[in-house]
Amino acid sequence: MSDMFHIPRQRPLIEKLWQVPWLLLAVVALLSAVGATALYSVAGGNAQPWAETHALRFLMAATLVLCMALVPLRAWSAIAYPAYAVVLVLLIMVPFAGVQALGARRWLSIGGLIVQPSELMKVGLVLALARYYQMVPRHEISWPRRVIVPLMLIAIPVIFVLRQPDLGTASLFAGLGLSLMFLAGVSSLYFIAGGIGLAAALPLVWANLHDYQRRRVEIFLDPDKDPLGSGYHITQSKIALGSGGLSGKGFMQGTQSQLDFLPEKQTDFIFTMFSEEWGFIGAISLLAVYAVLLSLLMAMALRSTSQFGRLVVAGSAATIFLYIFINVAMVTGLVPVVGVPLPFVSYGGTALTTLMAGLGLAMSADVYRQDEIGAAPSRIGGLVKSSFLRLAENQLDRLRRR
Amino acid sequence: MARSDEYHSRPLDGERFTRRALMLGLVQAAGFAALGTRLYQLQVLDGGHYAPLAEDNRIDIKVLAPVRGRILDRAGIVLASNSESFNLSVRLVREADLPRVLDLVSRVVVIPPAEREAVIAKARKQGRGSAVVLANDLTFEQVAAINLLAPQLPGVETETAYARRYEHGEVAGHITGYLGRVERHAMDDAPLLRLANSKVGKSGIERGLELELRGKGGARKVEVDARGRILRNLDETEPVNGSDAVLSIDLDLQGKVVTRLLQERRAALVVLDVTTGEVMAMGSAPGYDPASLSGRLDESSWKVLSTGEDQPLLNRAIGGLYPPGSTFKMVTALAALQSGVIALKDKCNCKGQFELGGQTYRCWRRQGHGPVDLHRALTESCDVYFYEVANRTGIVAIAQMARTLGLGQTYACGLPQQKRGVIPDPDWKRAQYRANWLGGETVLAGIGQGFVTTTPLQLAVMTARLATGTAVVPRMDRVRPGASAAKFARLDVPEEMLQAVRAGMVAAVNEPGGTGSNAQPGAGGPLVAGKTGTSQVRANSVAGDNTEDGLWEHKDHALFVSYFPADAPRYAIAAVIEHGGSGGAAAAPLVKDVIGYIIADDPARRPDPWASGAARAPGPSPDGIDATEPPPADGVPDRQNSDDPDEEKVG
Repeated sequence: MSDMFHIPRQRPLIEKLWQVPWLLLAVVALLSAVGATALYSVAGGNAQPWAETHALRFLMAATLVLCMALVPLRAWSAIAYPAYAVVLVLLIMVPFAGVQALGARRWLSIGGLIVQPSELMKVGLVLALARYYQMVPRHEISWPRRVIVPLMLIAIPVIFVLRQPDLGTASLFAGLGLSLMFLAGVSSLYFIAGGIGLAAALPLVWANLHDYQRRRVEIFLDPDKDPLGSGYHITQSKIALGSGGLSGKGFMQGTQSQLDFLPEKQTDFIFTMFSEEWGFIGAISLLAVYAVLLSLLMAMALRSTSQFGRLVVAGSAATIFLYIFINVAMVTGLVPVVGVPLPFVSYGGTALTTLMAGLGLAMSADVYRQDEIGAAPSRIGGLVKSSFLRLAENQLDRLRRR
Repeated sequence: MARSDEYHSRPLDGERFTRRALMLGLVQAAGFAALGTRLYQLQVLDGGHYAPLAEDNRIDIKVLAPVRGRILDRAGIVLASNSESFNLSVRLVREADLPRVLDLVSRVVVIPPAEREAVIAKARKQGRGSAVVLANDLTFEQVAAINLLAPQLPGVETETAYARRYEHGEVAGHITGYLGRVERHAMDDAPLLRLANSKVGKSGIERGLELELRGKGGARKVEVDARGRILRNLDETEPVNGSDAVLSIDLDLQGKVVTRLLQERRAALVVLDVTTGEVMAMGSAPGYDPASLSGRLDESSWKVLSTGEDQPLLNRAIGGLYPPGSTFKMVTALAALQSGVIALKDKCNCKGQFELGGQTYRCWRRQGHGPVDLHRALTESCDVYFYEVANRTGIVAIAQMARTLGLGQTYACGLPQQKRGVIPDPDWKRAQYRANWLGGETVLAGIGQGFVTTTPLQLAVMTARLATGTAVVPRMDRVRPGASAAKFARLDVPEEMLQAVRAGMVAAVNEPGGTGSNAQPGAGGPLVAGKTGTSQVRANSVAGDNTEDGLWEHKDHALFVSYFPADAPRYAIAAVIEHGGSGGAAAAPLVKDVIGYIIADDPARRPDPWASGAARAPGPSPDGIDATEPPPADGVPDRQNSDDPDEEKVG
């Protein structure tokens, strides 16, 4: 009944545009500019092959973000479950119809367009979890059956991504999903118990790792074991970082990175490259810009009135944080090499699109922050829910009563 | 809104969210603090440690490529080797230097103006670090001259490259396979694969034994100045050259087999040593010359090779799938005997056709064979007998026997791209078609038609297993003379049943009325056992009768499997001629010719290549012959093909 009175009045487009969080977009533009500059330097002072494309991609993605920001949050809520379901199907199709590249099958070719379902899933997972918690009444949040369903929403993509095999993305999904459950208010006891359980299961996880994954962990613990293999990357990265010193060698003066010592210098190791030239001061400043970006996002989350809006914004922030943390920790030798790019700075279209799509959702949540999102399933969403989630919950209910 | 009362506490969600968000924010802040601390440690505290390494002089690690192992035949004759050549490459150290450097280089090596522009553009595009090849195939004098000028040529390097050489054309093409460029790098790939000219095996042994042949890269740590000139060598790890692969293939026999096969349009043949499982010859027609694939290949020739009508790149011996036809009848016979639905002397009256469920299944001999027992049914290849017997035995027992005899699986023998084929059963059909198994499908499977498909290699293994009663597994590496080859386990099939089937195979070649009489090697030759197969490529037609429209594509496949000497089996042979007509008329004479080659020059008597020094034992020293090196423990591991030979997965 309350819905009847809260139909939002139609605002003109100009008013909506005014409410777009431009500051956030400006910070992202700054990061992309840092990326383009670094890529220019990596190419030895050339806009080709990376810097120009990077800038163009950012402009295209920014347009996409604006379009997404103007779509009502309700619409995103309505397509949350279907979007999750479609991406999940794509993800499951990967082992059968995927394009293979040296031992890993991660891409799907749909009508000539190469997509990486595991990237799309990062957005899909945020949408689905936010949608789920929009529907769950406050007092039910920590009920076992209300915990198991989101856990399944997280676990299914994690399992399929692990089988690709892609350990980096799987841990990103898990971290992202658990952050959202925590933010939604699931009792801390679950997290404590889960932590203890995970510690106990660690030997089992180790036993199930692929050989190459195990090798990466071993080499991470002892980089000298394989100075030419994966350990080589870490050693080279550390030399480059260390030689940058406090104030760096200056723009275009990075020597370690400009020779071909660094693998993937334009993607995963761009931070090393940047920090060699700009030093500790530059590196810390870059991290500070990221901190500003995350704070802006969290402020947006806090002023959103719907649970869906809050979680969508927070999910986007959590994704960006995890990318930054894993990437910087990797190039500084804190975690094994897993192949995660640095948000908005690394060269590469897929990750940029995913991250920008997350920002688009977050901005929509901000532009429409006063909107009420119905708790009851929408028509499209209801179809999926009734056939999937309801079934699961009823089964769990029955088990519980028994 | 019936459920709206459940949501009255929404604003409270916000409070809890704020609390939780702050907690998570703290965790994230802690994460950033950790990263900051780590950066402080690396860049400020330890910065002094790294600075000298990178201030003026830098440490460069150059990857040293190993020499790829050779591929030899069983006597040590080289099938694939490397020829040395010198390349000249340049990498961009300082852009302004490049024209001057190229001027200097062109005093020694001619660089056409057009090429010069291309090199400058390419070097600029690749940025610093990546090398651009300036010239190939330098002479020793040129190399010496360049090395003399080296101090004035920052970034210019001469390097020894090894081009792969295949000297036997299409005779060994399918066996060795060929090399090609590394298509995509993964983060955790060996740095070796990132080298400008690095190549990996794309098919055949080159791919199957890639890791053994490739060896391990070495590294040279050098100190270079800001211009990329090497100041001194700091540290060097020698590359470990790849080890030679000594194959079981006998080049002499292989050559004769391939030449004979090329008389047919599409055909394949496998010769196995049944005592060791060694593949003595494996031919597939048409073939290709791997040397033509190693250099630059224009697109149209590549198209002809890869997608041409006769698919020359396809090794039909392991990658061609054919209904085994009547060569499958031994499987049906053993399955029936073992499950007890027939006795040896049981007779079945063949009236030329068999009826089941309103369907009529015809014998190849329209007028029928009359009453036949197992022996005669195998000799004359009576279809009705096997329709009846298969129907009584049931598909599950038949499929199980087929797997026992080695069908429906791939073998870890170092050959990639093996096809598994299909040994159908109800589970397979449900998974494949979501439909139940039909009785008529058992009847067709009983004569090796319907869903059943096999490769020539599988048929050779089946024949070897029938001949020896042991679980022969094929191998592509030569068993070292003197080394005791691992004994194959005995099959779980009673000897007297195997004897009965073997007697049928001997009769098929040697008794009057036998369908395989064309395989008799003639007077003085060994006693040969065999079985013909004529498999239909079109449904609903009668075997041998498919030529009425005269189209080659509609003719039956001709098959023949054989082992000899029948009294002390040594060799098993399986042959398929695509659309060759009947097995007895087309495939049996082919096998007879191959038996003739083997009798004339027995490949089992080849000298020991290790003893003669033709083959190197594996090890770091390129020319050391270490005869005490133990042979590989259990055959050749197959790294490319993860299919477990004992695993029964059909699909």
